[in-house]
Amino acid sequence: MVLDNLGGAIRNSIRNLISKVLIDEKSVNEFIKDVQRAMIMGDVDVKLVFDLTKKIKEDILKSKAFSKKEQIVKIVYDNLVRFLGGEGEKIDTSKKPLKILLVGTFGSGKTTTAGKLAKYFKRKGLKPALLALDTFRPAAVEQLEQISEKVKAQMLFNKKEKKPEKIVKEFKDSFKKYDVIIADSAGRDSLDKSLIKEVKAIYKAFEPDEVLLVIPADMGQAAKTQAEEFHKALGITGVIVTKLDGTAKGGGALSACAVSGSPVKFIGVGEGLDDLELFNPKRFVSRLLGMGDLETLLEKASEELDMEKIKDLSEKFLSGKFDLLDLYSQLQAVNKLGSFSKILGFLPGVSALKIPKEMLNMQEENVKKFKPIMDSMTLEELKNPKILNASRIERIAKGAGVTVKDVRMLLKQYGQMKNMVKKLQGGNLKKMMKKLGIKDLKALEEMDLGGLGA
Amino acid sequence: MVFGFLKKKIKETFDVVKKVTEKKLTKKEFDKFFDALEFSLLESNIAYDTILAIRESLEKELIGKEIKRGLQEKIIMNALKNALRGVLKESDSTKLLQEIKASKEPIVIMFVGTNGSGKTTTIAKIAYWLKKNNISCVLAACDTFRAASIEQLEKHGKALGIKVVKHKYGSDAAAVAYDAIEHAKAKGIKVVMIDTAGRSHANTNLMNELEKIKRVVNPDYVVFVGDALTGNDVVDQCKTFNDVTPFDFAVLTKTDVDEKGGAILSVSHATGVPVMFLGTGQLYKDLEQFDKEKLIKLILE
Repeated sequence: MVLDNLGGAIRNSIRNLISKVLIDEKSVNEFIKDVQRAMIMGDVDVKLVFDLTKKIKEDILKSKAFSKKEQIVKIVYDNLVRFLGGEGEKIDTSKKPLKILLVGTFGSGKTTTAGKLAKYFKRKGLKPALLALDTFRPAAVEQLEQISEKVKAQMLFNKKEKKPEKIVKEFKDSFKKYDVIIADSAGRDSLDKSLIKEVKAIYKAFEPDEVLLVIPADMGQAAKTQAEEFHKALGITGVIVTKLDGTAKGGGALSACAVSGSPVKFIGVGEGLDDLELFNPKRFVSRLLGMGDLETLLEKASEELDMEKIKDLSEKFLSGKFDLLDLYSQLQAVNKLGSFSKILGFLPGVSALKIPKEMLNMQEENVKKFKPIMDSMTLEELKNPKILNASRIERIAKGAGVTVKDVRMLLKQYGQMKNMVKKLQGGNLKKMMKKLGIKDLKALEEMDLGGLGA
Repeated sequence: MVFGFLKKKIKETFDVVKKVTEKKLTKKEFDKFFDALEFSLLESNIAYDTILAIRESLEKELIGKEIKRGLQEKIIMNALKNALRGVLKESDSTKLLQEIKASKEPIVIMFVGTNGSGKTTTIAKIAYWLKKNNISCVLAACDTFRAASIEQLEKHGKALGIKVVKHKYGSDAAAVAYDAIEHAKAKGIKVVMIDTAGRSHANTNLMNELEKIKRVVNPDYVVFVGDALTGNDVVDQCKTFNDVTPFDFAVLTKTDVDEKGGAILSVSHATGVPVMFLGTGQLYKDLEQFDKEKLIKLILE
């Protein structure tokens, strides 16, 4: 999951610190050293790490609240949020057309991201167009063309023109036909003067409302220089972090927003065109510190499903009563939302449970079998799984073309899920927090975790 | 210039040593010196594990050693040189050329790596290099997943006058490779270069697929293409690729973009596999043959 290593290391050091009987300057120093190591290993720019941890240390020592351990968690939280660009403004779509320019180094994922953005705005009910300005990389225009067909968005391009600013001028009059114009520019190296000159010419012709820097999550110490130079040339309004589905540390991308003073606006979390999430630093840091993120999950769910269904499902989910029929519709929803592991990552407390990756992969394989199994059940069986005896199970297995073991696996999973749902209700979140070593929830509650209902 | 940053910084750390005694170097003094050096190494984007290896090597050589006045710089530079020699591996592209020329069957080279590391561009550059050395090759468009990946390879093929074997998008990558190899055998072409789809090393399914392609294709060489701008994650990336599809050499790309080229050291150290080429720009000729001693000289002299 997103920045798990960094999050895990910081969580550990917080746990270490607040488990101490007495918190004095020495233990604060140790804590700071732990956080520094975690961040540097997570590719955050070395100088920024020192600035940030210096501020955290000052805040802790100044707060005179050595004994109030929750205060320390809050200080770390606040500083990390500020580091990531503070409030995290949303993309303002009130202006028509909204003009977005994507810039970044080679292979950072600009073209794929352009497609994902178009899909994102389409889901919001807006009419996007993709403007192909990468006239340099072989087949870049063709790549955007194929993507635009997939997302069913209009594509504006001219394969014969080599000067991107001329392409902008050519289509300028038709921009007003769309709600959002997403411009894909050529990959460039911020230290190369001629490439920077070219992107400046694009900027002048296009007059974008948003200049978004696309940075891969695995970029290391080079990220800061790249962001600084782009920022100097164009004025970056936001950062999009791509490839966050790997084991990438993400620290380079975080440095990029710190030096440009602009927030991370979106994160790319997979190969599919739906795998783009709006980024909210507050939610992200609570997830980093192991508090889960129901709000993101719900936001995504409400986009993908019709509201009636989700209301129904979440009511049942929270009441702890759901039968196999609900599981069935839930599985269908899960398919739309993405992988099982991704969804688990959103749930509060789950990242603290440390579910091994192999298990999650196995789980996904199992889930694929579940649908045909449930298709082979009668309505009565789906509504009341208790009546499933050996002979019914055998019949279902035959009908679905699976083994009896697979059917039993489904029933077992259903039982576990029912239990998990029960656990997630009400006061049990507090128990989970306790497991994390956070004893008093008050400080956490003040943090506006949004939607957790703790 | 790659490593320009580190070069500038290393000199600064000597100031610490200069203040050090003329007697034997103690552990405490070493730690003080290395703390300063460690920063420069970290800032140069060298992975943490690799830095630990450098530290160990320096510790062994320097602690307890008599450091004579006026010779501090020389002694430490020598120790650093040895540490880097331990981290980097030797590679020989001339030998590769000879092997290709001597082989009766086509030599099959398969390229693997994460998304956007520069596999397709690197293949085009190596094709150009082979062509300059009068070696014929064919390109296999086995990335049947990413939009326009086939067109991208085809454009390079057209520019270089080299045939590209392709199927439709979504088709079986191994089948494309098979056709390309058959084509090479029939026409007496010396090298087949296989462009695979970029994938996240953390995606078990996609990595299994890559392993399957490798099993079917049975290449003579597997090449890992890594992005020199990658941070500590490069270690995870190259280790996983090396576990699933053990590679014979690596190419580090985009080394001209930033002067913090630490990933070059990290990949060699993490896998024990040599780097053979560095990507140094946007033109076909921008492919440098990696020379271990030359790089060490570049960093330290």
